[in-house]
Amino acid sequence: MKHGMHLTINGEPYELLVEPYCSLLDLLRDELHLTGTKRGCDEGDCGACTVLIQGKTATSCMMLALDAKDKEVVTVEGLARGDKLHPVQDAFVQYGGVQCGYCTPGLIMSAVGLLRENPAPTEEDVRYGIGGNLCRCTGYAKVIQAILKAAEAMRTA
Amino acid sequence: MPEERVLGRNYPRVDAADKVSGRSQYAGDVYLPGMLICKVLKSARSHARILRIDTSQAERLPGVRAVITGRDIPDVRFGSGAVRDRRVFALEKVRYVGEPLAAVAAVDEITAQEALDLIQIEYADLPAITDPIDALKPDAPLVHEDLPRYEGYAAGMGGNVCTVLDSGRGEVDRAFAQAEHVFEDTFRSQGINQGYLEPMACVASTDPSGRINVWTSTQGPYQVRGALAAVLQLPMSRFRIIPMELGGGFGAKLRLCLEPYPVLLALKTGKPVKFVATREEVFTLSGFRLPTTIYLKTGVMQDGTIIAREAISIFDMGAYLGAGVQSGVSHTIGPYNIPNYRVRSYAVYTNKIWAGSYRASGVADVTFAVESHTDIIARKLGMDPWEFRMRNALKEGDTAIQGGRVPRNGLQQTLEAVKERMQWPRTSEPGHGVGLALCQWRSGSGPSSASLTINEDGTVILLTGSVDITGTDTVLAQIAAAALGVDMHQVVIAKRDTDVAPFTGPSGGSRITYSQGKAVELAAEDTKRKLIALAAERLEAPAEALACGGGRVYAKEAPERGFSLGQLARMSLTSKAGPIQGTASLSAMPYAPVFNTQAAEVTVDRETGAVKIVRFVQAQDVGVAINPMAVEGQIEGGAVQGIGRALSEEVVIRDGRILNPSLTTYLMPLAPDMPAIENVLVEVPTEEGPFGARAVAEPPGFGPPAAIANAIADAVGVRLKELPLSPEKILCALRGEPLEEITLDLELLRALRGAGGSIQWAGSG
Repeated sequence: MKHGMHLTINGEPYELLVEPYCSLLDLLRDELHLTGTKRGCDEGDCGACTVLIQGKTATSCMMLALDAKDKEVVTVEGLARGDKLHPVQDAFVQYGGVQCGYCTPGLIMSAVGLLRENPAPTEEDVRYGIGGNLCRCTGYAKVIQAILKAAEAMRTA
Repeated sequence: MPEERVLGRNYPRVDAADKVSGRSQYAGDVYLPGMLICKVLKSARSHARILRIDTSQAERLPGVRAVITGRDIPDVRFGSGAVRDRRVFALEKVRYVGEPLAAVAAVDEITAQEALDLIQIEYADLPAITDPIDALKPDAPLVHEDLPRYEGYAAGMGGNVCTVLDSGRGEVDRAFAQAEHVFEDTFRSQGINQGYLEPMACVASTDPSGRINVWTSTQGPYQVRGALAAVLQLPMSRFRIIPMELGGGFGAKLRLCLEPYPVLLALKTGKPVKFVATREEVFTLSGFRLPTTIYLKTGVMQDGTIIAREAISIFDMGAYLGAGVQSGVSHTIGPYNIPNYRVRSYAVYTNKIWAGSYRASGVADVTFAVESHTDIIARKLGMDPWEFRMRNALKEGDTAIQGGRVPRNGLQQTLEAVKERMQWPRTSEPGHGVGLALCQWRSGSGPSSASLTINEDGTVILLTGSVDITGTDTVLAQIAAAALGVDMHQVVIAKRDTDVAPFTGPSGGSRITYSQGKAVELAAEDTKRKLIALAAERLEAPAEALACGGGRVYAKEAPERGFSLGQLARMSLTSKAGPIQGTASLSAMPYAPVFNTQAAEVTVDRETGAVKIVRFVQAQDVGVAINPMAVEGQIEGGAVQGIGRALSEEVVIRDGRILNPSLTTYLMPLAPDMPAIENVLVEVPTEEGPFGARAVAEPPGFGPPAAIANAIADAVGVRLKELPLSPEKILCALRGEPLEEITLDLELLRALRGAGGSIQWAGSG
């Protein structure tokens, strides 16, 4: 039986009816067609489905949609302001942090979550900050560089 | 108007902004009204006769719209290699755990899953054979009893042998007799999954006109179209394949994979049908690499010159021929000039999932063997491993294993570059070890075509059928911009599908920049000729007096006389020759090998056996780096995949069952585990590639297993010949416990006769 819930996604309020077994990822993708959040494993291993909940990173495949009741969810679609990319997104573009792009939304959300808590991370902080995100294409080097550059840009902005 | 320099510049990927915003559409992101969900029932047995498949209960389940089995479709065998040995669904027997038996379309995923549980299968078990070496024995159970009757099967082979390839040169026996030292080693690689982040996905729907639209995650849309038409016995013209943004493939998405199931169900129900593989199905539904055993024997003179090589490799093909063994076997010589050699490879059927492609299938396995063996020989001779490699390294003009001469290349420069960076020869610190490996790849060729049109505003539309994974769209745009003399932002890459774009080979084997890039360069040249011809007519000047650059065609002697590309496009609409369009096609590119030298520095924890990579340096000859940032991204990613292969990754299969089909237990490298990768780009231009560019992506993944094994041997004196180089094996060796010896019946392997086949370099990996 579906349950009613309220939540905010990327600043927009939603009133929804949700099955109790529906994951937050299923809700985002299959119901709301917010397909920027990716499904890589559905087991919490790959990090491609990472979103922010109340400003903290979470793998949306491992969370029931109903547990996001009354919470504020931010997905990769919610980072840019109009045409202006978030500094982390911009750095991924400029420094080659994107290849196939499937892990990219999750990596970006992990980076945004990291920089909220630690605006001046060391390289090692960044490595551990994205330690729950698998990327098969880049070898992480340019991803780490992009996040460090984004941190710098955000501090001087 | 100063011409923008577009070659050698780090343009961000043309699709990067869409990807970082979550706007890019992958096949799993396609949602169509009324769409049904597809699930596939897979065999639970390794080898069994199918006595009965009963789908009646599943069909009666509310919400189920269709159930299909092998009885409902044409009985057609298809194959991705030489032999047509596979069917879409198993019919009379199953040959591996995971082989598809039935497919269901239902209103939602839960109903589809429930329907699978209601399908009843009765099996009669058969003896299964899962070890390829056992499978070669005369009394082994047969995976394919009817093999000699399969299309493409070469007569003369027997038992479970799918193909045998032989290649040789010189007088091998005499050279071994003359050699002052002879070395023999046997190595084994492990099962490796490609590890792409996007599980395969496909949506199929039919038009009222009967055309079938297929949105899919593929590296080869034209190959999928051809295979679907053949398998379903429908005209190719009914299929329109729309290759979606691809979330990694590394070979797994080169050929027909899960497309037949949603297509068949869409045809049966008249509704759109979606199939998205689970992560478990990334291991059980799509082929990956199975272990390879490689025996090497090398004859060497006292001064370190290699004079003879014998190589026998046994590739486990699983139940069907997925990727062939050409790539692997052609690399058993290594990047060395060996005048006398005899190499042989067996592709052997076993009751396991079919072996698919992964980043130059088999070459990483073979490189682990060859480059470990190279180090073993150097150390036993008391020679420096770098000097030993340099002495024997291929040079321009040597004879290549594929035939013909080795063209201009930067192999020696990559060796020199790594020597300088590592300050070789170095005495390692206590507990540290350093190891080298040379990697080579023949580069990718195959059919390629492209077309360019000039719009009335001077922008350029580039139409290419190639699927972009590695950033090739950006590089192709750079090639077009450079050849036409326009700015990058004036080039638009057209969205394409198999109806619209001209044919091209799949994105694999590092072929897009080198081969498709050449087609783009030639198409741009063709466009330029037409622009100049039109301008010559209007300026009443000879074509030779005109140049194309800065977005214009102008008189060389009087640059102010000329037209912008936009003006010419507008004029062309009423010209005799009509609108400006340039095209080019080619079927093959010359052999242009790619070389990469890698060095790893490691520490080994004697308490835990854990290996830490403290430094990783690689130098690769990239011809000309059209986009250095993209090139670095390719070789960094490749090296890290190779490090995973070296240290942690292994698909564990017991009795034909995959024990770790999950990213929890199949351990790919994460950021905290990885060293910084130091890259050196060597640029020795190719003779024919676009602006001298060379293939890039394959080689860096080959070297890490050997470089790290050699570094471990240097650090703690332990020589591992089986991958992965796990802490367990290192600890066993450190404690002096015997490692598992790989024993081969060499007499049998030398005596088994195959029909053979020549080793070619063309095609994709």
